[in-house]
Amino acid sequence: MDSITSAASVIAAGLAVGLGAIGPGIGQGTAAGSAVEGIARQPEADGKIRGTLLLSLAFMEALTIYGLVVALVLLFANPFAG
Amino acid sequence: MIDSARLFRAQEPLLATPPLPHNDSASSEVLQGEGEDLPVVAADPVPEAAAVSSDDYLRLQRRLLLATLIVSAIAVLITALAFNLHIAGSLLVGALGGLLYLRLLARSVGKLGNGAKKVGKTQLLVPVVLVLASARLPQLELLPALLGFLLYKPALILQVLLDS
Repeated sequence: MDSITSAASVIAAGLAVGLGAIGPGIGQGTAAGSAVEGIARQPEADGKIRGTLLLSLAFMEALTIYGLVVALVLLFANPFAG
Repeated sequence: MIDSARLFRAQEPLLATPPLPHNDSASSEVLQGEGEDLPVVAADPVPEAAAVSSDDYLRLQRRLLLATLIVSAIAVLITALAFNLHIAGSLLVGALGGLLYLRLLARSVGKLGNGAKKVGKTQLLVPVVLVLASARLPQLELLPALLGFLLYKPALILQVLLDS
C-alpha cells in the first residue's frame, strides 16, 4: 500500500467513526435520559419502558456499528491496498 | 405613651387561637386511633407492579434472543445450501456475535437506573473483535460474518411489527 492510500485510509477511518458516532450518541443519550425519567415517574411501567429502550438503542447503535465496521475494514482489510 | 394593658388585650386573641386542623389523614387516623388497635395500612401496589413489569422485560429479552436464533438458523441453512459450508460457517460465527451483542445490550439496558447512569459500551467490542478476527483468520470471510452479525436486526423488526 502506498503512503497516500494508507494516509487517506487512516483519515477516512477516523472520520467514519467520529462523524458516525455523533448522531447515535446524541440520540442514545436523549433516549436513555428520557427512559430513566419515565421509570422514575412510573415504576410500574418499568419493563415496557426498558423494552422500548432496548429496541430503540439496538436500532440506533447499528449506525455506530456501520461506521466502526467501515473504519476497521479500511484499517485492517483495506480493499484499496492493491 | 403605650398602654401595656391594651397591647396585651390586642395580642390575647392571637395567642388564644386554636391550632389549625390537620388535613393529613394519616396523622388524624393515628390521633383517632389512640387507645385502640393501630389502623391497618394497605401495602404499596407499586413494587408488585414493578416486579411484573420487569418480568415483561425478561420475557421480551428471551423472545428477542429466540427470534434472532431462529432467523440465524434459517439464514445459515439457506447459505449452506446456496453457497458452501465455509461461507455458512462465517455467517454462523457472525450470527453468534450478533446474539452476544444483543445479550450484552439487553444486560446494559437492564442495569440502567439500577446503579448504572448510562448505557454501557462493552457490546461494541463484539463487532470490533469480529472484524479483526475475520481480517486475521483465513477461515472467516468478512462479508458473511458482518451480514451474520446484522441478522439480529430482522428479528428486532419482526418483534416491533408483532408488538404493534
